[in-house]
Amino acid sequence: MKRTIPAVGLAAALALTLTACGGDTTDETPSTGDGGTTEEMGDEPVTLSLAGWSLSTTPEFQALADAFNEEHPNVTVELAEYSAGDDYDTQMIADLAGGTAPDIYVQKNLRNFYTYADGQQLLDVSDVAAGLDPATGGVDFYEMDGASYAVPYRQDAWLLFYNKDLFAEAGIDEPDGSWTWDDYVDTAKELSDELDAKGTYQHSWQSVVQGFALAQSEGAALDTGDYSWLAPYYERSLDLQESGAQESFGTVTTNSLSYQAQFGTQEAAMLPMGSWYVATLIAQQESGEADEFEWGMAPIPQADASTTGTDATPVTFGDPTGLGINPAIDEDKISAAKEFLSFAAGEGGADALAGIGITPALLSDTVVDTYFALDGVPTDDLSAFAFSTHDTRPENPVSETTAVVQNILGDAHSAIMSESDSIEDALAEASDRAANEAGIG
Amino acid sequence: MATDVTPAVGYRRPPRKLSDPVKKVLGYGALIVAAALIMMPFVWMIISSLKTNNQVFTIPVQWIPDPVVWRNYLDIWTASDMSTWLQNTLILSVTVTFLQVLTGSFAAYGFSKVVFPGRDVLFLAYVGTMAVPWQAFMIPQFIIMSNIGLNNTLWAIIALQAFGAFAVFLMRQYFVSIPESLSEAARIDGMSEYGIWWRIIMPLSVPAIASLTLLTFVNTWNDYLGPLIYLRSPELRTIQLGLQTFIGQYDAEHALIMTGSVLSIIPVAVIFLLGQRFFVEGIATTGVKG
Amino acid sequence: MATTAVDQTHGGPGPSVPAPPRPRRRSRSRLALRNTLIGWSFILPNFLGFGLLTLIPVLALFYLSFTSWNVFGAAEWVGLENFQRLLGDGSYHTALFNTLYYGVFHIPLTLVSSLGLALLLNRRLRGVAFFRTVAFLPYITSIVAIAAVWNMLFSPEFGPINQFLGALGVQNPPGWTTSADWSMPAVIIVSVWRDMGYYMLLFLAGLQTVPGELYEAARVDGAGAWSRFRNVTLPCLRPTTFFVTVLLTIGSFKIFDLILVMTDGGPGQSTLVLSQYIFDKGFVESQYGYSSAVAVSLFAICLTVTIFQFVWNKRRDA
Repeated sequence: MKRTIPAVGLAAALALTLTACGGDTTDETPSTGDGGTTEEMGDEPVTLSLAGWSLSTTPEFQALADAFNEEHPNVTVELAEYSAGDDYDTQMIADLAGGTAPDIYVQKNLRNFYTYADGQQLLDVSDVAAGLDPATGGVDFYEMDGASYAVPYRQDAWLLFYNKDLFAEAGIDEPDGSWTWDDYVDTAKELSDELDAKGTYQHSWQSVVQGFALAQSEGAALDTGDYSWLAPYYERSLDLQESGAQESFGTVTTNSLSYQAQFGTQEAAMLPMGSWYVATLIAQQESGEADEFEWGMAPIPQADASTTGTDATPVTFGDPTGLGINPAIDEDKISAAKEFLSFAAGEGGADALAGIGITPALLSDTVVDTYFALDGVPTDDLSAFAFSTHDTRPENPVSETTAVVQNILGDAHSAIMSESDSIEDALAEASDRAANEAGIG
Repeated sequence: MATDVTPAVGYRRPPRKLSDPVKKVLGYGALIVAAALIMMPFVWMIISSLKTNNQVFTIPVQWIPDPVVWRNYLDIWTASDMSTWLQNTLILSVTVTFLQVLTGSFAAYGFSKVVFPGRDVLFLAYVGTMAVPWQAFMIPQFIIMSNIGLNNTLWAIIALQAFGAFAVFLMRQYFVSIPESLSEAARIDGMSEYGIWWRIIMPLSVPAIASLTLLTFVNTWNDYLGPLIYLRSPELRTIQLGLQTFIGQYDAEHALIMTGSVLSIIPVAVIFLLGQRFFVEGIATTGVKG
Repeated sequence: MATTAVDQTHGGPGPSVPAPPRPRRRSRSRLALRNTLIGWSFILPNFLGFGLLTLIPVLALFYLSFTSWNVFGAAEWVGLENFQRLLGDGSYHTALFNTLYYGVFHIPLTLVSSLGLALLLNRRLRGVAFFRTVAFLPYITSIVAIAAVWNMLFSPEFGPINQFLGALGVQNPPGWTTSADWSMPAVIIVSVWRDMGYYMLLFLAGLQTVPGELYEAARVDGAGAWSRFRNVTLPCLRPTTFFVTVLLTIGSFKIFDLILVMTDGGPGQSTLVLSQYIFDKGFVESQYGYSSAVAVSLFAICLTVTIFQFVWNKRRDA
């Protein structure tokens, strides 16, 4: 690499330190195939550091660490605590830049994965990925240029939660797995007419509309610069809020409504949401924060009838949560770290996660059994089907332009939903910006 | 004071439209209404801190909590490390404020009362850095800080906050407004520059020191981004960082956040109440009067 | 104290000293050296921390704005590429426009309201400590709570503000934070409300430098309240006003956290400001070099305005 160093003393000196620091990690060639899973791990004690967030309320990291330590008593996994939300990535980027990041860190979603992988802050773990059960969801999402840089241990998928009591009260048939989005909208309107509550609650996140559109529309992609496939999904969402079957976007954002309260206190009869909500809802019903009512899970409505029904595989979306290795890790810890990755993404990790109500990336029959044996999880057939059968597409397909495009589409989302802009104008502007800011189209 | 002044011959009182007591009552009425409006969000915070979590954000807004959940004020101490957070924040705020006021006013003397080449350029550099948003240079700063091994210690926040340009700028502006004749006189009396700073300029700058102290204290107390970037260990968390832990990946403990926010404001409000009494007419000029 | 000597000296170091003969020139340069040493000895304790942790990173930022740095790895020199990109970047132009829009209203409104508060609360008034604390309360209240409450107050359908406007007979009350046209005014209102206590404090400190005798003299001359304000308060307050204006300008152009929690730049890009753009480009899209160039442009704007204020202030001084 060629760099011109300007004659400005101080700035140049600092630039050198900067590059030197970054260089610590880039100089190390990511080690390839020969280590890891196939190699026998020694018995000498090893301590690995693992990044996690909000440890007191997020037990999954400790669960993985404990389960792994049981199988490998010589390896201790120490947790390093980070903040939740987007702050996690802010802190992790700083730590990687400063050389103080832990050995193993979590890829919270696919949106930032490109940043880490492209910035050479992830070790090549293709060998671990190759050794995983083929049924593991989302393994190939972490591939870049033919190599894997992280493995998924958790894979939430979006489902339709519904309140059985409210459906009964309104005298309307519960979902049966055959719904398209039009059926969903019609039912939401009927429910609102019959009940004091709203028919459904769609939270203000852009993914609630865009995630499904991207996953279910023919030929939809973020990096084409054409976003017309979003239009039918926005028409339905606007229809819902204009007909009063759903709180308006303005009301949701200005009143900081939370989906847990809206669904949990029976303000809305349906809720499209990620499978992580199962554990929260059970806990809130137990603590009394949420009302006592019967609820179930249905497959998310589909674009058309071709993927509906319990003999088909419904298409939904969800980013996996993955684990990757910091290239600055000590050479002699790499095999233990890789062992941890294959454990977490494998049957052992999946069982430990399912036991605390988390959806693992590997949904084998025993794992599903463990999950549905938990107290409070609805046991009807449709819920079981919805939970375990789906074709889950990534919300943020890995690409250089994904982060930029998602920012652009996020602006389009708030412009459309607040009715500041027409669907057509907002999507056209998004295309223009994608061309201008990401060089797409 | 006013009673000592004998009106000059021919001096006429300006005509008054309202009598004094009516004016006073109206004035106070206006102040109280304004105060109530200004305090509205604060009141809402207190109300929310007495609700259950799912009741905090509702439509329509629920102004009276039902039931009143006093337990939040007990739970927050057991459900979290509130006392550790408060302790860390207090340590940081006090240390930073002390160092900031000391080094800031010391440097400000150099910038305002001593003439030497390069002084104004350096001062411009100080003010100039204030025009650069911190989030733009925090990564280079983080790299330096981790190279000297300060990150993930409370020292990082102290080093970060205690040497800011703001204090230098504020104190310099105040020092400039103190007549040069005072320092000159002391110089002739043989007092050293350090003596002038400590025995003449500083006592005259009590209001500026008071406002710098209050502002620095509040800014350190409420800082979120600084601790977020530099602190990781749970035992080092400040109050703002701690309150953020009530916000999980997919949900948030809104009621406890409001409870914690109310608790965190109390110490600052008390300090403000104590500190504001230094803004009393005449305190700065008493030294000037011969 | 040394007050007895006050009347014996006039003014600062005199420029009227006649050209000194040769031997005294040496002592003069020694005096300059001595002054330099003394000056630096005052500045150094602060400068150690400031130079290492602020000045050097800021200089690094300037360097990085000419590179394609992505936070990790080496910073590749790209010359003026980032700055050329700024010229054609529509989102940057939006952010720039919004920042100026915000500043043009936020700066004067805050200046006037904080000065007004300071004048109102700078008297021996019963309960003044309480009212001062109330005025300062918005600044110390958690920003998350502020955003939540104000958004609620602004809520188009259920919010008290629009209900009030409706009661007054306003036909189409604004959508505030849910409307691209009204989101910026909403943000400006909240930030003036939040900041006025902060700047009031600075004005309060400045007001203490106004010699009481001047008021007395003005009163004796029969000057009314407005005339006393114009002819006594404002001139004596000029160093403070200058300081507050500079600070307010910089703070206003750097506005970040309040907008982030209130509207997150939306709806659409209607409240996207430069600081948020810098953060997004740097931390979300990891284009740190480009984000640095945006920061440099923000710096240049602040500096230009500040220099104008400096010159203006100097002119008024003369």
